[in-house]
Amino acid sequence: MKQNFAWLAFAGTLALSGAGTATAADVTIDDLMNDQASTENVLTYGLGPRAQRFSPLDTLNKDNIKNLFPVWSFSFGGEKQRGQESQPLIHDGVMYVTGSYSRMWAIDIATGDELWQYDARLPEGILPCCDVVNRGAAILGDKVFFGTLDAKMVALDAKTGKVVWRKTIGDYKAGYSYTAAPLIVPTEAHGPIVVTGNSGGEFGIVGAVEARNPDTGDLVWSRPTIEGHMGTLNGEESTMTGTKNETWAGDLWQNGGGATWLGGTYDPDVKMLFFGTGNPAPWNSHLRPGDNKWTSSRIALDPETGEVAWGYQTTPHDGWDYDGVNEFIAFDMEKDGETIKAGATADRNGFFYVLDRTNGDFISGAPFVQDISWAEGIDENGRPIFVPENRPGNPAESADGKKGESIFAVPSFLGGKNWMPMAYSTKTDLFYIPSNEWGMDIWNEPITYKKGAAYLGAGFTIRPLFDDYIGSLKAMDPVTGKVKWEYRNQAPLWGGVLTTGGGLVFTGTPEGYLKAFDDETGEELWKFQTGTGIVSSPITWEQDGEQYVAIVTGWGGAVPLWGGEVAKVVSYLNQGGSVWVFKVPEQLASR
Amino acid sequence: MMHLLRQAVSVVALLLFSVSVHARAYDDVIDSGNITIFVYSDYAPYSWEEDGEQKGIDVEVAQFIAEYLEVDLNLLMRGADENIDDDLRINIWKGDLIHRRAADVMLHVPIDKEVDARNDLAVINSPYFHEEMAVVVDRNIIPNLETFGYFTSEKVGAELDTVSDFFLSNAFRGLLHPNIRRGPTFESTINLYAEEEVAAVMASRAQSEYIANRVSHRDSYVVQPPMPGIVRRDWRVGIAVKHDSRDLGYAVGDALNELIVSGKLASISEKYGVTYIEPER
Repeated sequence: MKQNFAWLAFAGTLALSGAGTATAADVTIDDLMNDQASTENVLTYGLGPRAQRFSPLDTLNKDNIKNLFPVWSFSFGGEKQRGQESQPLIHDGVMYVTGSYSRMWAIDIATGDELWQYDARLPEGILPCCDVVNRGAAILGDKVFFGTLDAKMVALDAKTGKVVWRKTIGDYKAGYSYTAAPLIVPTEAHGPIVVTGNSGGEFGIVGAVEARNPDTGDLVWSRPTIEGHMGTLNGEESTMTGTKNETWAGDLWQNGGGATWLGGTYDPDVKMLFFGTGNPAPWNSHLRPGDNKWTSSRIALDPETGEVAWGYQTTPHDGWDYDGVNEFIAFDMEKDGETIKAGATADRNGFFYVLDRTNGDFISGAPFVQDISWAEGIDENGRPIFVPENRPGNPAESADGKKGESIFAVPSFLGGKNWMPMAYSTKTDLFYIPSNEWGMDIWNEPITYKKGAAYLGAGFTIRPLFDDYIGSLKAMDPVTGKVKWEYRNQAPLWGGVLTTGGGLVFTGTPEGYLKAFDDETGEELWKFQTGTGIVSSPITWEQDGEQYVAIVTGWGGAVPLWGGEVAKVVSYLNQGGSVWVFKVPEQLASR
Repeated sequence: MMHLLRQAVSVVALLLFSVSVHARAYDDVIDSGNITIFVYSDYAPYSWEEDGEQKGIDVEVAQFIAEYLEVDLNLLMRGADENIDDDLRINIWKGDLIHRRAADVMLHVPIDKEVDARNDLAVINSPYFHEEMAVVVDRNIIPNLETFGYFTSEKVGAELDTVSDFFLSNAFRGLLHPNIRRGPTFESTINLYAEEEVAAVMASRAQSEYIANRVSHRDSYVVQPPMPGIVRRDWRVGIAVKHDSRDLGYAVGDALNELIVSGKLASISEKYGVTYIEPER
């Protein structure tokens, strides 16, 4: 922890002496690496490459939060609404924010005026699986970068919004799409690289992490996530991921899944990229014997070459759709008088894992949601202790196509935690996890047809575990695996978390509130109704001596697309699409 | 004549961005002078695109329907989603998420009581095809495919994530796994057979006959061995319209009836190497 504070202090000095005073300065790779400490901007998705979503700012605190008021609100306009999952970036008095349907805006923070808008022209024939969201942009030099639903990476001139380059990162006709925020990291061999995952439909897509040159968009290296596939480096084949057929049967590895659709994080300390990988394909686990590596896993990559440094599989041989894409956050853990270079991740499968980030060794795995039914726990080697009777059955074995025996699996396939990022406070040493308490009934489905021919699939319904709440924001102690406090919310939580040096924890709710909590006790200190559901991640920064908070609002995402019992608690929510910006008026800041 | 007609179809397809997006009733279709008909892409011999040209049995069926109703044809060709319920939602009663486009009529919809009952926003009727599962086999490698047991020693192809893939993957509790080769598209699955990487391909009967016909350098036959555990060995194929466009459905049904009784559908099928079997009507 001492190390960490020293690093922050050093970075803070840099920020004060350098970028802080410059006007209209281009963003450097050092600025990105120092983003967590430089409080006058937000240059990265996650407020720093580790994505701890912690700001050291303490101007706004538990005492004056009651005086936090809106400054302006900006509407995304148009007929296009649906889910707004984006986290804005802040640089040099300008906000860069993306919205649904692959749109982006630059806004003058002083006035709330629009500077420019970019609207990707989306082709016919895209069938995005989940929702038409975008999670944010990246910035470097004089360019901003973001990915579009038709699987293109676009680099725009930050001043004008004009396209500098536009590269295809996947064929949308084959089902590829892109929704995550790109990640930019330094390398010795190639200079800064733009790193992306991939996303797409359920079957036939092989997960991959790819690095590109930020000036040209040219591919530097690629690393498939599924065993048996070859990576590339500088236009030539590099090495194979794992060993072909080691944990896959037949030719199934060729189409194995493992998409890296949520993007990744980077730790400048150990110089590694961390990516989560999606669930294996096909969905029916009985069709693909074996562990199916590296699906439902976290993998660490060397940014110089794209080589796999280590992998850790959270759900081997997944049968529940427990996508393993969730963020892996590097942090330094004090335990038994030692400082451990650790990292933590809260998985769809309901367990919170702490790993050694230098080698992927398992340290601990503790449940962060209640009544997990697919596994009894995690054994000392980090492998789940499966409950075989709670694995969904093979639809093909219900010979007559009648509704077979139903099982109840907890969590549901939407996960103990879905895409929404958690936060880690270097002030309290706690993780703040936006989680949901729900399970799913799964049964063998009546007959259906695919591309003209009949088969039996699986049917499912998501059910809340409790009558009065689904959403649950938890403060998790990574050392003990115990939950310190919990805030309960009726609707499922679907937005990210922010925590600050002022002792505050921010998150939004589908009911429309941006809320602030006491980081030690979970007491609700402040809330503001934004008029539509919140499914995005808040940010904070300092401008002209005042602390600002911003949140994108607009209800949508995966929850309203899946019916079941959950639909009842969200069916009345209205769509929207805007950014809200807040600050404490100067005359009230000291009170 | 056919060639000219196809050109006309492609030109109309280019103009599609401006046409109305919702499935419409009969009077609206006739008044507007055009009809939007959905067919699957990458679905030979029924409907696919080759060198910019849309072709196949269902494409010609769509052309006939438009001619019969004396309107222009907008062909909406796009891929299959996870299952028929999704396809009906996207292509008939709701439209897609991005452009909100739907068709007036969807071709190649299975006629099945359970599917019908679940999808009350679409009306499914007018059977015009009889379809069944089959295997196309190279006679020189397997002279007589009596059971799927042969594929414990010979390689068999299937299009990825289709019913054939599910059946083969499940057969004999996974025993065939080492010998299944999956093509990500139907076209690439044909290539597995053409390049002799597999001894056989499992597909629908029409697809199997089409492969046998197209891959002429192999001596092929089409066969239907016992398929233990398969959900439907055969079924009827019809059309779907939106629930409030029943009158349009009846008019299209009349067109299909004419196509069947005149023998035209049989001769269209024959062009693609497919034996036409009239469905029970």
